[in-house]
Amino acid sequence: MTLRMDRIPSILVSILMAAALLVAPAAAKTEDYVVGAEKFIQDLADEAVNALSQASLSNENRQEIFRDMLSEGFAIPGIARFVMGRYWREASADERDEYFHLFEDVIVSLWANRFSEYSGQEFRITEAIPARSAREDEKAVLVRSLFWTDPNNPVRLDWRVANKGDVYKITDVLVAGVSMATTYRDEFSAVMRRNGVAGLLTELRNRSSDIRTN
Amino acid sequence: MRYLSVRRFSRRALRAFVLTAALAGCASAPNDDGSGLAGPNDVNDPLETVNRLVFSVNVAVDTLVLQPVAVTYRDLMWPPIKNNIHNLLLNARLPLTFLNAILQGNFSHAEQTASRFVSNMVLLWVGDVGPGEEQPEDFGQTLARWGVEDGGPYIMLPLLGPSNLRDGAGRVVDFFIDPLGAVAGSTVTVGRAAGGAVDSRSRNVDEVRDLQASSLDYYATVRSLYRQQRQAMIENSTDGSGQPAPTISIDAFTSSDEEAATN
Repeated sequence: MTLRMDRIPSILVSILMAAALLVAPAAAKTEDYVVGAEKFIQDLADEAVNALSQASLSNENRQEIFRDMLSEGFAIPGIARFVMGRYWREASADERDEYFHLFEDVIVSLWANRFSEYSGQEFRITEAIPARSAREDEKAVLVRSLFWTDPNNPVRLDWRVANKGDVYKITDVLVAGVSMATTYRDEFSAVMRRNGVAGLLTELRNRSSDIRTN
Repeated sequence: MRYLSVRRFSRRALRAFVLTAALAGCASAPNDDGSGLAGPNDVNDPLETVNRLVFSVNVAVDTLVLQPVAVTYRDLMWPPIKNNIHNLLLNARLPLTFLNAILQGNFSHAEQTASRFVSNMVLLWVGDVGPGEEQPEDFGQTLARWGVEDGGPYIMLPLLGPSNLRDGAGRVVDFFIDPLGAVAGSTVTVGRAAGGAVDSRSRNVDEVRDLQASSLDYYATVRSLYRQQRQAMIENSTDGSGQPAPTISIDAFTSSDEEAATN
């Protein structure tokens, strides 16, 4: 009996090794969704360059194009939900509704503004690797890229992409390892910690009307 | 004479080290429920009231002094000289990186740093310092490598900016163990710090302005950026692989993590 018990680990090890041998060739092949996610980011980048190269566009039109691109390319509801953190549970249905609209309005405008200042610096995807996904029916990919704002020191830009069926959406952007979603979550939480969900909505409402008047 | 000062230097370093260890020992454990969601406890900022006060003074000093100096420097200094000053400042930081890389047991990084330092010293005479990947090391990161993974309470240092207990203690140790300071004196290291502040601020004028204007709570944004940036530096990666990845789903509602989060 004891002998057999002793043997179990070595049997386990051989089973695991056999399994690893079987799995290894499969893992070496790049999955379709990983290729898809990489293409999705490349297409978005091309689209951005295209929008910027049209000299005839006014600044306003350009921002409009970027706003549409971001609303389309980013998983706005998922990001908005994550950014609210545990305060999501405290928010009423009406508050959640208003929050979504304001989040899209304020954050998308802000980033549209930032991206529209992009002036064709070199951008190159370096790799795309599978990542842990939020849900079982979704897949996640980390698409890593380099972005040359300064010819000598490229900035690392990583895109977290979620995939479901044919749909690809960006869930987070990491600039030199700093997650935008996490930064927003920490920032918004600080506001809600002091002034509650209502306080956050007031702040966002002010921002939103600032954007309109400018 | 040299020997004497080296001995005195190492005794001071030892004392600083003991102090650090004692301070780091008090660092409390993070209060995270593992849900990955922000809560009142996971920012670890018990001194927030004082920190916010110091921060507002820092922002005022930045607006009144550092920013104008940095903008003037950016706009008026001849670009090639500006570039050389930048490289010189980076180079002056390398001996400390070298020492900390050794303390962290990362010998390949130490070797790269040393060879970069030597080749840059040669190139300095030619007037063209080669660029290189920036991966500065400091004693705060060394402590993290030695097991002080949690930085402890967040601390906003007057003039020096965001830090935490571990990294603040690390700064003190760095001041004493910095090879440049041992060779050239502390006036040089203080000068390097002041020059570095102007140089790096001059390269981020627009970014800081943008962040300051767009943030709903600038203090909280800076705190978050500091924490994430330090984590990336400690992992020596800029791909965020060291961070717990926020798992964000495409949609907000049908999410099954809703139940998980409430428990």
